[in-house]
Amino acid sequence: MNPMMLLWTILVPAAAAALLALIPSRVKVVRELLAVAASAASLVLAIQLFGQKTLEWRPAWMGGGVDFELRLFPFSAFILLALAGFLLLIAVYSTAKMKDHPHVRIYYALVFLSAAMANGAVLSDNFVPLVFFWEGLLVTLYGLIAIGGKASHRTALKAFIISGFCDFCMMMGIGILWAKTGTLTISQISVHPTGLFAAAFVLMMIGAAGKAGVMPFHTWIPDAAIDAPVAFMALMPAAFEKLLGIYLLARLSLDVFKIEKGGAMSILMMTVGAITIVLAVMMALIQKDLKRLLSYHAVSQVGYMILGIGTGVAAGIAGGIFHMINHAMYKCGLFLSAGSVEHRMGTTEMKKLGGLAKAMPLTAAGFTVCALAISGVWPLNGFVSKEMVFHGALETGYTGFAVAAWLGAIFTFASFLKAGHSVFFGKPSEERPAVKVKESPIAIVVPILILALLCITFGVYNKLPLNGLIAPVLDGRVEAGAHLDFTSHALDLFNPVAGISLGCLLLAFLLHAYGWKKGGKKPYLASEPIHKAPGLKTIYGWAEKRVFDIYEQGVVFLRGLSWVLFHGIDRPIDFVYEKAVTSVGGAMGGLLSKAHNGRYGNYLAWCLGGLLILAAVISALV
Amino acid sequence: MNIETITLLTVFVPIIGSLTIPLAGLISGKARSAWSVLLGGATAFLPMLLIPTALGGGETIIRKEFVLGLDFILVIDPLSIFMSIVSSFIGFLIIVYSLGYMRREENQNEYYLLVVLFIGSMMGLVYSANLIFLYLFWEIIAVCCWRLIGFYRLKEYVKKADKAFLITFFGAVVMLLGFIQIYGQTGTFDLTAMRGAIIPGSAVLLILFGLFSKSATVPLHTWLPDAGIAPTTVTALLHAAVLVKIGVYAYARLFLYGFRLPGAWPDALPIIAVVSSLIAAGAATIETDFKRILAYSTVSQIGYIFLGFSVANTTGVNGAWLFILMHGLAKAGLFLCAGIVIHATHKRDIRDMGGLMKTMPVTGAAFLLCSFSVIGIPPFGGFFSKFMVIMGTVQSGRIALAAVALFTAILTMYYLLRTFALVFMGEAKVAAPEKSFSMVFVVGLLAVLSLVSGLLVAWPAKLTTAATASISWWLR
Repeated sequence: MNPMMLLWTILVPAAAAALLALIPSRVKVVRELLAVAASAASLVLAIQLFGQKTLEWRPAWMGGGVDFELRLFPFSAFILLALAGFLLLIAVYSTAKMKDHPHVRIYYALVFLSAAMANGAVLSDNFVPLVFFWEGLLVTLYGLIAIGGKASHRTALKAFIISGFCDFCMMMGIGILWAKTGTLTISQISVHPTGLFAAAFVLMMIGAAGKAGVMPFHTWIPDAAIDAPVAFMALMPAAFEKLLGIYLLARLSLDVFKIEKGGAMSILMMTVGAITIVLAVMMALIQKDLKRLLSYHAVSQVGYMILGIGTGVAAGIAGGIFHMINHAMYKCGLFLSAGSVEHRMGTTEMKKLGGLAKAMPLTAAGFTVCALAISGVWPLNGFVSKEMVFHGALETGYTGFAVAAWLGAIFTFASFLKAGHSVFFGKPSEERPAVKVKESPIAIVVPILILALLCITFGVYNKLPLNGLIAPVLDGRVEAGAHLDFTSHALDLFNPVAGISLGCLLLAFLLHAYGWKKGGKKPYLASEPIHKAPGLKTIYGWAEKRVFDIYEQGVVFLRGLSWVLFHGIDRPIDFVYEKAVTSVGGAMGGLLSKAHNGRYGNYLAWCLGGLLILAAVISALV
Repeated sequence: MNIETITLLTVFVPIIGSLTIPLAGLISGKARSAWSVLLGGATAFLPMLLIPTALGGGETIIRKEFVLGLDFILVIDPLSIFMSIVSSFIGFLIIVYSLGYMRREENQNEYYLLVVLFIGSMMGLVYSANLIFLYLFWEIIAVCCWRLIGFYRLKEYVKKADKAFLITFFGAVVMLLGFIQIYGQTGTFDLTAMRGAIIPGSAVLLILFGLFSKSATVPLHTWLPDAGIAPTTVTALLHAAVLVKIGVYAYARLFLYGFRLPGAWPDALPIIAVVSSLIAAGAATIETDFKRILAYSTVSQIGYIFLGFSVANTTGVNGAWLFILMHGLAKAGLFLCAGIVIHATHKRDIRDMGGLMKTMPVTGAAFLLCSFSVIGIPPFGGFFSKFMVIMGTVQSGRIALAAVALFTAILTMYYLLRTFALVFMGEAKVAAPEKSFSMVFVVGLLAVLSLVSGLLVAWPAKLTTAATASISWWLR
């Protein structure tokens, strides 16, 4: 196959983006057809490339090691396929959901531009094109959030700056790596993370994990859930950014840096993962809006992936990567279902909904499957990948991380019981908007159902993706002797680890039932006992006031520093020019003009004085 | 045409031509505008003919003997060709934009004369290899600049123009002292004859004083934000095309092409550049005047160019050359967008604006795209330049400085996008439509060029690689 094919995966969506931007807003059908056709073409291309397995294209670019190197290998082919699949689903979904959006033109263009950038980032085998595409996603991120509504540009700025910070950290890491190894070609670098390389790894980890939305770089995601179009949420934070971030993180810790089980970097990653799981799910639990709740889960689930990859053992890494693709499927499905509800009801606030399952059975079914999958209910895909992460975490010997992961599982299920109960089941709320509810159009429902089906398939027939997609990634990259036979990990129901997981689910159910009773049988109040628990209440209060928001605190810092720089350095310097120099000049002038008072004797005295000085100087020199 | 003729024409067509602009003005306003555009266009077109020469990497020297070491020497190498293309091209676009912007002003004869003379002197300066001629063109530019900043002739404005003139003039005179000291040591003003010579530290200090005053580096920078009272076309010219780039170009010409830096200077300069960049970015964050924000942003970005040159490795220097181009395009775009907004709303404080995206879609989009380029976000051109400069800094072992430079980039992100949000997003406070076609066309073109220069970065990179190679004979 011609290696130029790799370029087409970037050019096809990019050309589609350009065309979509040019079609006037009034023309609807052509735009939608074009969008679906272009994304279908991308998918076909990705499938062909997936069959190809390996392909390299390394044309020169700027010289000096900066070359436009693209490389297809099993891992990138897998991610490419996933990206194209999600693009097609979102394109179909958008034909119904985004139809009447005022910025529909920009929306489609940016979506396809994102796809082009994401494909480029996945294929890059040189850090410069990688950063080029990776950071390029900032532009589409900003645009896609900003078109959400009147006030959404604030959230866009927030997302841009947080992601920009992460990207700049990665750039710094690349700089160190380049300076130390002398090459930018990713597949040629393999170093031990010690000394400066450890710093490089941490910096690049911030870049990769920050893209995936790990704490504390997540705070824009819940805000965007409210401000940005829901299709954007399903596309970027739920699917694309997870795929990209975890893909890069896996490559960094498998290929570029040799992360060893029990090493400092491994512990660091597991800690970050565990903290993210627990804290984000605690926030998710108390949310009152379905989209915000989902967005916190999008953060929390990243924790599992990082925890899994950070274990440095085969089961954990495979679990982390498997969790990435599983999460992309069910979280995308969940956001799309939320969008479907929003499409009919005009709101996603839980207390204003309820009992929608009757009127929207397909959406409800899709939501339920995806919600059970994310909660890790057997035999869905989330169960399998979470089990693998639990096993991996236990295998490292640090039981604490496994406990954190289980804790996360409890609250995940509890919050989805609350969400499903208050939106689709239970009694309709009195505040429910008085609209005639019916199932959403087919273009909205079909993507949800496809994703739900995939969740079932990947769970029941988990050997299929594990052997077909994940095993080639790990092939030859885990320590010798570690076998890649997934059957050995007993991913079935009857082992102690699975027993604990199921116990967690039971606990979550009891928690929900208790909260539901306590809250006067209003499901959206089911999390209140935890929200109002002594101690937690104060912390939740701070979190809701954004005390822990890195962006809010960062802006305070930036403005404070700027104030000091401006009023402490810049203005004093200007004062010297404006006041000191001019007044000294004025005074000198005044003095001289006083000396010229027109008296003859005075001038004679000046001359005499000057003559004396001259004579003194000359006699001193001679 | 051979190389020599092209170069001489590049320098003298605008300089002599500018003097004929008032004559054209006698005929009619239209004739004057057309003649000015023609002169600007010719100046922009001529150096482009030299691109093949630049890519070849050779060096041609034109020398006309004269007494007292005042030989008229022009050096035609990738450095001078690259710089003259960037300056004259952006200058030309600004002249086109002026057609709309200055349409209703008085004294247009003087305006166009000074602008074309300004660009012409820049060409002279870029190609000069004699320190005295360098100084001469330097001062012609200062005089043009002084008249143009105070173009509106209000008392307060003239004061600011005087401030700009006095600071840069003072710097230039100090620099001249440095040149004389060098003459005392080498016995020549000819730069080509003193390549690789080590010059005394005091001369370096004197010359740098001049460079920093011209390129508005902290602490000699505050005249530049104050110069924002000039017509926006002039500010764009100062910031993007000509004035502040002189300092960095002369740095490359003198200290990378010419003599070597003694003692601790190679270590001190990157620190000065980064600190200057950070302070200016902080000031830009606090300012609320549209043009002053952009002015401080220029000071901040110039720091990156200095940083790239001063770390003196291939990556850094290459990045700095690219930076001159990318920053020129994007910053010209930002200022000209600001010009459209200020022209239409008659407001300068960004807190009084808002929601202009509705009425000025092209301007708003262009502003956003140019902001992305200045911040250094791909796929825009500014990404490559900033990336290379920072990579060069890391390669030279200055990791902490690179980190500060990246932090400054985050500040840049914050203040530019906040400016965009305040001016173009949110509730509309004043509704003002875009008016003149030539103005909107130019900002749109600059935004597109910022994008294209990123997508097709390999082409300008060829030129900058040649420019870097031509001075890399002493790069460590």
